[in-house]
Amino acid sequence: MHHTDHQRSAGAVPRNPEHRNPRHTDTFIESESVVSTASPVKTTAVAAQGVWKAYGSGEAQVVALRDVSVEFASGAFTAIMGPSGSGKSTLMHCLAGLDTTDRGTVIIGDSTVTGLGDKALTKLRRDKIGFIFQQFNLLPTLTAEENITLPAAIAGTKADPDWVKRIIHTLDLTDRLSHKPTELSGGQQQRVACARALATRPDVVFADEPTGNLDTRSGTEVLNFLRTSVDDFGQTIVMVTHDPTAAAYADRVVFLADGQIVEDMADPTADSVIDKMKHFEELVAAAQEEAA
Amino acid sequence: MLRATLKGMASRKARLVLTSLAIVLGTMFVAAAMVLTSTMDKSLSGLVADAYEGVDGVVTPTSADAQFEEGFGSASNLIPAEALDTITAVDGVDAADGAVEGQINAIGPNGKLVGTFAPTIGFNWESNANQEFYGFQEGTEPAADDEIAVSTKFLADSGFDIGDRVTVYSYTADRAEFTIVGVFNLPGDRDSMAGETMIAFTTPAAQQLMTKGEDVYSAVYLYGDFSTDEVDQALGAGEYKVQTGQEASDELAQGLSVISSVMGYIFLGFGLIAVFVSVFLIINTFTIIVAQRQRELAVLRAMGAGRDQVVRSVLAEALIVGTIASILGLGLGLLLGWGLSLAVGEFMFSGLAVQFTVPATTLWALVVGIGVTILSAVVPAVRASRVPPVAAMREAANPPKPLRTITIAGAVVTLVGTALIALGLSDNLGGEELLGILSGVGIAFVGITLLTPIISKPLVSFLGLLMSWSFTGKLGKLNAGRNPRRTAITASALMIAVALITGIATIVSSLKATTAEALELNLDSDLIVSGLQTGANIPTFASERIDELKALDGVESVGDVYVDFMGAEVDGEGEILSSSQDLDATLKVFGGTVSEGSVTDLAADSVVIDEGTAEKNDLALGDTVEVTFSDGTTTPLRITAILDGYDLTDGWWVSPEQIEHFAIPKPMQAYIAVTDGADLLAVQADVEDVLADEPEVGVTNNAEFVEQQTSGLDTLVNAVQILLALAIIIAIIGVVNTLVLSVLERTRELGLLRAVGMTRGQAWRMITVESIIICLFGAVLGIGVGIGLGWTVQQALESEGLTNFALPWGLIVTYLLVSVVVGLLAALAPAARAAKLNVLGAIAYE
Ligand SMILES: Nc1ncnc2c1ncn2[C@@H]1O[C@H](COP(=O)(O)OP(=O)(O)OP(=O)(O)O)[C@@H](O)[C@H]1O
Ligand SMILES: [Mg+2]
Repeated sequence: MHHTDHQRSAGAVPRNPEHRNPRHTDTFIESESVVSTASPVKTTAVAAQGVWKAYGSGEAQVVALRDVSVEFASGAFTAIMGPSGSGKSTLMHCLAGLDTTDRGTVIIGDSTVTGLGDKALTKLRRDKIGFIFQQFNLLPTLTAEENITLPAAIAGTKADPDWVKRIIHTLDLTDRLSHKPTELSGGQQQRVACARALATRPDVVFADEPTGNLDTRSGTEVLNFLRTSVDDFGQTIVMVTHDPTAAAYADRVVFLADGQIVEDMADPTADSVIDKMKHFEELVAAAQEEAA
Repeated sequence: MLRATLKGMASRKARLVLTSLAIVLGTMFVAAAMVLTSTMDKSLSGLVADAYEGVDGVVTPTSADAQFEEGFGSASNLIPAEALDTITAVDGVDAADGAVEGQINAIGPNGKLVGTFAPTIGFNWESNANQEFYGFQEGTEPAADDEIAVSTKFLADSGFDIGDRVTVYSYTADRAEFTIVGVFNLPGDRDSMAGETMIAFTTPAAQQLMTKGEDVYSAVYLYGDFSTDEVDQALGAGEYKVQTGQEASDELAQGLSVISSVMGYIFLGFGLIAVFVSVFLIINTFTIIVAQRQRELAVLRAMGAGRDQVVRSVLAEALIVGTIASILGLGLGLLLGWGLSLAVGEFMFSGLAVQFTVPATTLWALVVGIGVTILSAVVPAVRASRVPPVAAMREAANPPKPLRTITIAGAVVTLVGTALIALGLSDNLGGEELLGILSGVGIAFVGITLLTPIISKPLVSFLGLLMSWSFTGKLGKLNAGRNPRRTAITASALMIAVALITGIATIVSSLKATTAEALELNLDSDLIVSGLQTGANIPTFASERIDELKALDGVESVGDVYVDFMGAEVDGEGEILSSSQDLDATLKVFGGTVSEGSVTDLAADSVVIDEGTAEKNDLALGDTVEVTFSDGTTTPLRITAILDGYDLTDGWWVSPEQIEHFAIPKPMQAYIAVTDGADLLAVQADVEDVLADEPEVGVTNNAEFVEQQTSGLDTLVNAVQILLALAIIIAIIGVVNTLVLSVLERTRELGLLRAVGMTRGQAWRMITVESIIICLFGAVLGIGVGIGLGWTVQQALESEGLTNFALPWGLIVTYLLVSVVVGLLAALAPAARAAKLNVLGAIAYE
């Protein structure tokens, strides 16, 4: 069993409930009910089956995804890694119903995403999916609190106040709630984005390089929270990242190269991820030499 | 830098197209105004250029008010028949035709006058003998004294036909019947010059009607090869006005060119308002373009571009846009001017054939268009040059600038304007009150425009509250309040147009209220007998009708008024004299009261005046004044009563025995008080019967009378609304422009909103709410400023009799509703754009 403690003693969090850091448990008021949300039976939250995606046509055609099949278990934290242009973002967009697939099916929970119209997709995104982008996550006209409850407000419903309160508390945003995004640091903004993504208790949260624009400290805060939300709230998270240390927070890393899944690694550590990446680079270099 | 500018422009096509549209519309109207003015000028003078075609000389009376004299039949100034012989005797004069012309009345088949809004002109057909001015259509020329030929327009207006008998009379001639024997047209096959109807008589019949039967002429047309000087000498130098045909035509043309230039000025005025409104739009566009190019400009600056280069690059863009748009506007303006000229020729001058001319001044439209564009771009350009190179490195969106400077400036300017208005209204500007008030209004207008950004904050939040019931509405409200300057500038454009209309509508409704109050509060009458004045002549009716009215069931009392308008004098000073068959009753109807003496059964040599007039002329009860009536009779009159000062009854009242000396010895209006409990409508019907044989007047009740008196004002409001439509269209384009730019600017946000679950419909509604708020803001401001404007004018004119202030509520509510609709419409394109947004494209990182 791998632990990441040896890499970042201060920020790392053990991912298994039985080893839960007591420091974090303290921050939850009703830890019992939280545990119950994490179902012990691992069902599939998101699945892609034989997904193809190409951009452009003819000579200029770029195949971004070729026959990708992958499943993401609910209550798990999965990282997607791979070289630039390998199709990570494309895969995520297809999974999240932001983009259409050319072939293959995407399933979220019990609904098939493929073939849904704009209305249904919008509703799906609103009710079942949370998003964290690399930047521009917040509406500048709204306060932090209003941003957090934005999806609920759009739906015309009210987010569960206790739940929102708990997230805000966990993210340490309590005294920042009335601030506008421009009055927040990058790390705080990203934490607000995390809170927003979780506020509706979505089936799955998609995060595309959520720490890409942050310094190490802020990045660590965000990753810690994502980890906590998986461990304590049973949240399902799919995160695209370039950073091996970020990937080490996940339960599993899926490697993409040239639009295909080339490796599926469980319980990653920063070192094992770095090793794999080196290995890929060699493979790519070899392939290029062969081609030349 | 120029290449960078051009490349940049290509990438901002949509924005530039909208900006150009505003410039195009503005220039278009200015150019059209120029074309209209000169085309109408040429066409109208062309029209009268052949008025004396073939006529070599014209002799007319010298008296300035000959026209007036004609109408009222004083022959003293006209040309006697003997003069014709004198003229014919002059060397080279081959022929001389005496013309008798003047206004007459013809009674139509319905018992009322023919021609509702234009007079009927009578003339002697023989004056046409030596020229072929009128084109004969059918029938024969009038040969017998009871035969007439009429213009085609006369037949069309009256419904008469050849062979019908028509009753004709004038102020100096009793009714006589004539038979229509022929129909003629005016030159160019037109049926009328400007709506008037015409009747041609034999010379004796014309003189019977228009010169009290005396053998005199109102003009003499000469033919042959002679010197006008010799004609003048022969007639007794300076006795008459002697002109060549050309001179007479030119004089006529000059009078008409006043009409066309007034029309042109009106169009030009509204064109300039449109241009002024587009200034706001242009400023906004360039400001936004500059804001969006902030990064690019900063990079340029970081790479070493100087400030002046940045300014020049923005101004170059303005120059290019301004030039292209102005040329386009000029071209469209020529088209519009042509269309307008055709329309004006057709509808205002009864099918006048227009001679399309394009004056060199039309090029001014180009100067205006290009100039305004560049001037409007100066502020954004200078702002662009202030972008520091480090902005290239900064991530954060630039926060909106503080509004302090502009607010202070606006407050100071508004105060100066208001102070000027206040000083003017309180008569403290030493005789320059009107100028002071007008410039005060202008200055306050500018000041308020500067204040709009700060006003926008609370007002936009307030208006937004109305929309905040849904979350999308709330987002729309927040977006509208996001950039107060931009919202304010966009709304200001709308404000200007709305303020002008509201101002005028307020003045009009105040006028109406004043008229209505004068009638309803002060006038103890229920029915009014009066007529609509169409020409130089005032509608009247026979004196006997007054007694018949008094005898009617349900009529309590009748006040009657006779007036001697012109030519009357008191102690050598020109005055208006009034009289009444029963001054007692008339005073009662008007609500006037007697202060001293008695007005019952006025003796022939008595006169009644009001306190004010007595004081002004230093007169007292029992004093005697020398009164000259317009027929020339002079007689001493003694003051036998003095009235309390009261607007409606102030002036000089003479005994009814003097009425025969008035120019018009007939009553002009009668005021009828109906007995309490009598059926007003029944009495009104009886009065109508009494007036059956009075073609010039009708009976109305008070409400109808107010309507009749103010109907012209409604037309004015409507005309102004139509003319301001252009400015409003430009303002709407401004709203569309701002919204499109905002949608572009907020692509990322929209993408985010859509990603987290906002539906297309919600995105649409969000933009629409923003649009409605901006439009409502403009309308509310405009209405506010317009009311202020109307109030100022009302205050300024209070001493002139505009005593009431009334708001045009109907219009105000309409404008508010219309602004909501406009908001909906203006949002169509931007909202569709926002709704169709590709979510993925919007959130994809650079
Ligand atoms: N809208 C598009 N049009 C054309 N090609 C595209 C588009 N989006 C992505 N691609 C191409 O598809 C491939 C995969 O792109 P994708 O953005 O998924 O890569 P990525 O793994 O997320 O890369 P990075 O790590 O740089 O973000 C790339 O070759 C890219 O050029
Ligand atoms: Mg990517």
